[in-house]
Amino acid sequence: MSTTMARSETVAFDQAGFNGFLDRRIDPVWVTQARKDAWTAFETLGWPNPRDENWLRSDLRGFKLSKYSPTNETESQSIATAPVRLNVGVELAGAIRSENGLVTSETLDPAYAAKGVVFGSLSRCVRDHAELVKKHLHAQIDINSDRFAALQAAMWTDGYFLYVPKNVVIDKPLHIHAAMGDGSADLSHTLVVLDEGAEATVLYESSSATPAAAGFHCGGLELVVGARANLRYVGLQDWGSNTWHFAHKRASVGQDANIQWTIAAVGSKFAQVDQRVALIGKGANSHVNGVLFTRDRQHLTYNTIQRHSATHCTSDFLYKAVLQDRSRTVWRGMIKVDEGADKTDGYQRNDNLLLSDNARADSIPGLEIKADDVRCTHGSTSGRVDEELIFYARSRGFTRQEAIRMIVTGFFQQIFDRITIDSVREALGAAIARQVRQYD
Amino acid sequence: MTSNTGTSTNFTFACKLSELKPNVPLSIEVNDRFVVLAMLDGTVFCIEDICTHDGGTLGDGELIGNCLVCPRHGAKFDLRTGDAMCMPATEGTLSHEVEIRGEEVFVQLKDN
Repeated sequence: MSTTMARSETVAFDQAGFNGFLDRRIDPVWVTQARKDAWTAFETLGWPNPRDENWLRSDLRGFKLSKYSPTNETESQSIATAPVRLNVGVELAGAIRSENGLVTSETLDPAYAAKGVVFGSLSRCVRDHAELVKKHLHAQIDINSDRFAALQAAMWTDGYFLYVPKNVVIDKPLHIHAAMGDGSADLSHTLVVLDEGAEATVLYESSSATPAAAGFHCGGLELVVGARANLRYVGLQDWGSNTWHFAHKRASVGQDANIQWTIAAVGSKFAQVDQRVALIGKGANSHVNGVLFTRDRQHLTYNTIQRHSATHCTSDFLYKAVLQDRSRTVWRGMIKVDEGADKTDGYQRNDNLLLSDNARADSIPGLEIKADDVRCTHGSTSGRVDEELIFYARSRGFTRQEAIRMIVTGFFQQIFDRITIDSVREALGAAIARQVRQYD
Repeated sequence: MTSNTGTSTNFTFACKLSELKPNVPLSIEVNDRFVVLAMLDGTVFCIEDICTHDGGTLGDGELIGNCLVCPRHGAKFDLRTGDAMCMPATEGTLSHEVEIRGEEVFVQLKDN
């Protein structure tokens, strides 16, 4: 049987495509078995039910999986035009670049490698560091949660693995860039494991070859923060404006550990992100920032859960969205407090600024509390730009666009103040400024 | 048929006329957007397949008179104009112009 396929040959996300994918892979037996189990789940599950609360406001009818093909590992990828922003002017401890979900370059400062840090291609690490990966890979993501989770678990092409040993501190950021070509698919997976007392900063960004590129991203992210560890994770999603983006993102935070997680989304045509943080050790702390800026007919959905399973944990979710044109955002947040998780301090907030009469923001905060001694608060605001502010700015010599840009920047300032990395603040500020339309 | 026939530009093919049954709504994709078409008294009308109340789809809704009823919460939209006719919808949905060219239905999608 020939294993070399021409790009013109149609390979689909079907049984034949899956079999061909397995044939091309060099995976350990346990990975292959996990893929087969996930494929069975994918074939068993139907597409998400539009009556399901998580998908109620998401119209998937325009999504055609048959338009996309699994990335072929035997073909070289070359996507030089996908922009990179988060690493500008930053001294890095390491970097990984992937194209269409396949890692094409990986570096790590030897000083950290000598301390036992592992940072590189997930496909390589499942072979070379199975003892570190096996315990955590897809441990937090239920492959039966929906068809996209199952497909991603079955056919993840490659991805990024970071392991930081006990008490090792990486004092420079690690950078990951996922690039995708027009009409391509990216089924990459990210796994970050910080052992007890470890510390790291990860800057992840995704972008397409052209601003209007089509594509299919079906990703997974798992963050494991051990006891007393500190993780700062930044994700900037800037896929092309015709890209479908599906992702399951998870974090588990151990005793007295901290996670500061920033999510920024400006790209894609449609996004459905399921984000969960589980506070599993006493005194765990999570800080999550979300920045969404939409235009045209973009539709971004974020379903978040902050789950308190231990005592004395704090969680703080702040999502802010600015919407233009006919774009739409859906944010559905839930604080879950398990029985016995006393002394919980949970907070969630979603603010939306609408720059157009036709934009729409759905905000659905929720609480599910099974413990007695807790403090949980949530809130949401949605509103238009204050015309008086614009008038004032114009009276001081600014154009309407400059005025709106200032107001938008000010709206996001609360989140920028919570981001401690200069390059991230500047990259997000620039990405937001680019999005503001010229208004009459 | 007392139809809206013509040959204007900026119209996109939507479906064959034979696919439309009188008083039965048809949800289809045109230029990456979903619209609902229906033939009322021999005239074809087209509105955006979006309920302005919850942002969901209208395509599965029932047609009562000239109104399409949202299958989730019962909002009604006049298929001829897109106007919202009852709560919980308070704003109309987009109404698109239709042209019949022979046996084919074309629509001109509005942005606002």
